[in-house]
Amino acid sequence: MRLQKSILISVMACLLGAPLMAQAYEGDWKRGHVYYRMVCTACHVEKAGGAIGPNTRAKAEWAAYLQADKHAKGKDRVTFYLSKAYRDSIKASNRAAAKFVDVPELELVDDIKAFVARSAKDGDAPTGCR
Amino acid sequence: MATKHWAWESINPDTRQVLGKKRVVNNYCLGIASNYAYCTSCHAGYGWKDNKFDFSAAENVDCLVCHDTTGTYRKPSGLAGHPVYREMEFPPGSGEVLHPVDLRKVAQKVGKTSRYNCGACHFYGGGGDGVKHGDMDSSLGAPEWELDVHMDATGLDFTCATCHVTTGHQVPGSRYSPTIRGEGGPFMRGKVDKRNPATCEACHGSRPHTAETVAHIKPPPGFSATALAAMVNNHGIKLACQTCHIPAMARGGVATKLLWDWSAGGRMGPDGKPMVERDEQGRVIYDSKKGKYVLGENVIPEYVWFNGEVRYTLMGDKVEKQGGYAPINRFAGSPNDGKSRIWPVKVFRGIQPYDPVTQSLVVPHTYGTDETAYGKNFNWQKAVAAGMADVGAPFSGKVDFIQTEMYWPINHMVAPKAKALTCQDCHSRNGSLAEGRLKNVKGLNMRPLFRWSR
Repeated sequence: MRLQKSILISVMACLLGAPLMAQAYEGDWKRGHVYYRMVCTACHVEKAGGAIGPNTRAKAEWAAYLQADKHAKGKDRVTFYLSKAYRDSIKASNRAAAKFVDVPELELVDDIKAFVARSAKDGDAPTGCR
Repeated sequence: MATKHWAWESINPDTRQVLGKKRVVNNYCLGIASNYAYCTSCHAGYGWKDNKFDFSAAENVDCLVCHDTTGTYRKPSGLAGHPVYREMEFPPGSGEVLHPVDLRKVAQKVGKTSRYNCGACHFYGGGGDGVKHGDMDSSLGAPEWELDVHMDATGLDFTCATCHVTTGHQVPGSRYSPTIRGEGGPFMRGKVDKRNPATCEACHGSRPHTAETVAHIKPPPGFSATALAAMVNNHGIKLACQTCHIPAMARGGVATKLLWDWSAGGRMGPDGKPMVERDEQGRVIYDSKKGKYVLGENVIPEYVWFNGEVRYTLMGDKVEKQGGYAPINRFAGSPNDGKSRIWPVKVFRGIQPYDPVTQSLVVPHTYGTDETAYGKNFNWQKAVAAGMADVGAPFSGKVDFIQTEMYWPINHMVAPKAKALTCQDCHSRNGSLAEGRLKNVKGLNMRPLFRWSR
């Protein structure tokens, strides 16, 4: 009886959970905005000679850039700067990295994608460095 | 439907003046009459294109503008509060193509308001980012702790509604009838309480400083940290919290407009067509259709005694051109009325059209592509005649320009305590106000600063 009950619960859990598991993560553009501004832009201003506003590129350009995953003209990867390891390495001095240190990398990549798509020069809300 | 975001009209309970965007004249875009389709992109409704809009038609209420979470819902200026339903060139002939909003997606993802929802209008008031308020602009979408300790996106991450807690869609904390001092101590969120929840005191109480919170300040000789905290708390009797804790406005990298000279409009480019001029940072400082601007970042506010009473100069009220600035609004207050506190304000100055015969401010028809719009024909007489006809107000046919000023209380961009004003910012060593922040505040008798510092 107890076994039957456990099986029933498991089956129900799978049935209820399956649609949720099948649903792809949809990027959180608001979180992407915070990370872009406080990690990407902050570093670019300090070390790379200036900020790059999301509205300096079109949506397709951003998509291609992120797909290619080449940062600093191919010297390293964009995704490195979104990785948990990178966030962990700067969390002591960067509040956004600290806040999002445990966010799964793929989610953060999607967050950034969603943000730049929204904020690109042909996006729904073209946004500068702010 | 009683919300101000729909009615654009409210009665000041103290002065009984009927205010709101539907009523007031300002010195930015001047007024909404005859310019409805442009201004009402910020109305929580659809279709307010003229003075016949039906405010009893619930089907025209736009819920999505406040409750969209996708960040894709937009209401372009010129469409009378409508979003884009199908791909269109707008303005016609401009070559700019607007893409439709995915309304199904937006409707499926409605939620609580965020800073982005409120900011879509309140950050862009006056026709552009940061133009109007000085303490609100797009930098508050994802602000750092240094810009605003409450909205800090990596910390407390307050939304606007965290402080402006609504009840039945009534949003408290209006500049049309400000609360000068939150009385009665902090109150519990969620508990029925008719006080304004959007005051500092509503959370912090009226004596928030303790020995711990002022520990970063070096006390004067003979003062304990506790005594110092008491002294700082006593300052709250005469100073608004904002006076010390918002050391400057427009600190987020977005300039605010400080002066708008409409009388300079109409100058054309070398090709004889309307033009814009930009400063070295690419910001527009002249537009043939609008006149000349002065912009500023990290602007130190002006300071005034303020007891909460605001009185507006409404259309028909007499204004006089006497060399000074005619008030768009007046903040009442004095050092001796027992209520006033010294408050930081943005004083926005303008040079705007008025009727020298009736001595009234006017609302011109500024925006649009028709023949009476100033931005089309650059003729003030036609533009003012059209605007005044829209509201049924008299117009003599003569147009002159008058210097005006409008006061805006500063409430946002609260800095970390280490960036708050210090004693020396106001108290000079000899008691003179000449160097201090409050040098222009009337009726102050400042004590000399002790020989101590942070």
